[in-house]
Amino acid sequence: MISEKLKSVILKELKLDEFDIRDDTTADQVPGWDSLSHLSIIIAIERNYGIRFKGYEILKCKNVGDLQRLIDSKFP
Amino acid sequence: MRCLTSTIVHHNITREMDKPDFELKGKRNRPVSVNSASGLKTEMSEVREVGIRVNELSKVNSIWERWETLASSHENREAVVHWVAGEEPIRWTYGDLVSAAKSIASKLKKCGVKRGQVCAIIIRHNPFFYPVYMGIAACGALPAVLAYPNPRLHPDKFRQGLEGMSKRSGLDWILTERELVGMINPLVQTAKSTIRGFYFPLEWPEVEAPSNKDIQLEASFVRSDPFLLQHSSGTTGLQKPVLLSNGAVLEHIVNYAKAIDLTLSDKIVSWLPLYHDMGLIAAFHLPLAFGIPTIQIDPFEWVLAPQLLLEAITQEKATLTWLPNFAYNMLADKLSEDKLEGIRLDSLRLLINCSEPIRHSSHQKFVDRYVSYGLNPLALSSCYAMAETTFAVTQNPPNREIPHLVVNREKLASGHVVEAKPYESSRICVSSGILIDGCQIRIVDKNRIDVTHGVVGEIAIQSISMFDGYRNYPQKTAEVFDNGWFYSGDLGFCHEGNYYIIGRQKDIIIVAGKNIYPEDIEDMIGSLIGIIPGRVVAFGEDDETLGTEVISVVAETNAKDDREKQLITNQIKLACISIDVNIANVYLVPPRWLIKSSAGKPSRKANLDRILAEKLQK
Repeated sequence: MISEKLKSVILKELKLDEFDIRDDTTADQVPGWDSLSHLSIIIAIERNYGIRFKGYEILKCKNVGDLQRLIDSKFP
Repeated sequence: MRCLTSTIVHHNITREMDKPDFELKGKRNRPVSVNSASGLKTEMSEVREVGIRVNELSKVNSIWERWETLASSHENREAVVHWVAGEEPIRWTYGDLVSAAKSIASKLKKCGVKRGQVCAIIIRHNPFFYPVYMGIAACGALPAVLAYPNPRLHPDKFRQGLEGMSKRSGLDWILTERELVGMINPLVQTAKSTIRGFYFPLEWPEVEAPSNKDIQLEASFVRSDPFLLQHSSGTTGLQKPVLLSNGAVLEHIVNYAKAIDLTLSDKIVSWLPLYHDMGLIAAFHLPLAFGIPTIQIDPFEWVLAPQLLLEAITQEKATLTWLPNFAYNMLADKLSEDKLEGIRLDSLRLLINCSEPIRHSSHQKFVDRYVSYGLNPLALSSCYAMAETTFAVTQNPPNREIPHLVVNREKLASGHVVEAKPYESSRICVSSGILIDGCQIRIVDKNRIDVTHGVVGEIAIQSISMFDGYRNYPQKTAEVFDNGWFYSGDLGFCHEGNYYIIGRQKDIIIVAGKNIYPEDIEDMIGSLIGIIPGRVVAFGEDDETLGTEVISVVAETNAKDDREKQLITNQIKLACISIDVNIANVYLVPPRWLIKSSAGKPSRKANLDRILAEKLQK
């Protein structure tokens, strides 16, 4: 389940008022989420959550659900 | 027995990759050293060998012949380093690569591929991409690398684009991955299709590495033989197939190698896609024909983790790379310090900016960020290039700071280059270098007459590496060729022998080095509910932060309340996803807001100026 916090960070970064973001939502389905904005989103997540993604963890995320689980893993 | 296993490397699937049964010679886990420790003697012998290599290139008839020669004389020399995030790279030697290519060529011939036929390659970042590409060339067929469809691109749009290309270029075969069979199969079934069939070469069972006598390759290439087909980047249906001969590519390698002082000590690193001329010619054909290694990074992995480039430079001690302007901003702004641990850029002697307008601020921020990581500021360089001239036309000489001019912005907009006074609104124009051997440039007006000094005009080019025309598109070819000169559509000027590229005649938008045609966007949006048909313009707005253009749209609507406008905005952005276009800014305006051109259509430039003026006022 995607938290409101993660959804809010993504929408704010993409300047979207609302968009239905779910577990299986992929980047290509979200308006504005492309190669130029992707890193900005990741940086915004790191800043908002106070975390750092290591190495190539991000590359393994296939959808927003994977991203949520990766974030959650930083808070055992 | 050597074989090619189905090692499909995808950035989203698990990393348990089948080890290729194909036995790669040389150590898997360490670079093959090409430098001896003996200093001057080595340097002199390298200079001699560079000279020999350039002479050799001038004598061979084909790229394939050159690869065979290198495989014979430098069997164990490293050719391609296939880079995968978080894994040991796969290293191809020249010997292994050419041997694998011959195996592929043999298979292709059995499948019916003939000399002169076009083989489209739609394969993701994969260690066996390279022998597949080379195997096509070994048959005398023409490889044409096409972009693997982005997931956001609607399958129908991808198929339409491919169909258009097929009709235009005459694609004969498609070599691809099984995942695309659903999209490609209908193309083959269509009555008027030129496509004879498709194969999945990454899945081919064991192929015996034959001896020379077993493979009857096309033995008699001549330099004028067509070698490869490259499609200009763009959105659906507007791609132009650029046909390059062996001679064009070989001449270019000789001349461009001289322009960048290429030596045997060099090592090229690249994340650039191989369907783009910069990736294909500069970072693939140049090193492989010259006889130096190329490190190939997955473009999809790079955009998600740009530090990959820096890691490859550090670990492999790479010396050259090419980047579009936006990449400088991305590398400067988007990587936190922890991702740069251990990074050293001391080995890098040339970092060449090309394929979209160069921004001085992008270079500044890149140097500021990386000088403490060993970057030599003089490594920053630039060039002006296009597929139609094989690649480069101009290049900033190595170890020379890139010249730039601070010019009056308004006068430049009206076509005149005038140095700006301190209090004037200015634009910094960055040089794309001086002419490389074999090229000439004229700056011309709309009537194709040379302009006077200090005037902006269209760049017309003569090149010894000029393409042979747009395949099956004589009308388009005739539009751009006149009396031996190629009219590029780019705008620029010359100052003290340096060429400055400042824009394009036509309204093409360049986002992160990719050409986007506004007509595609306008057609898509004009058909949406809530938008007045025919009353849409799309254009690029410069984004200083990103170091590239972003796409903006102005559309007339009868909608009045904010909620309805927001819904329309969302609809526009979503609709454009299906043509793989991201709209950064949507300006919804009332009916009759758009300024028309003299032709009666909304003028992109005039409306861009109006939007910018209104933004300044706010």
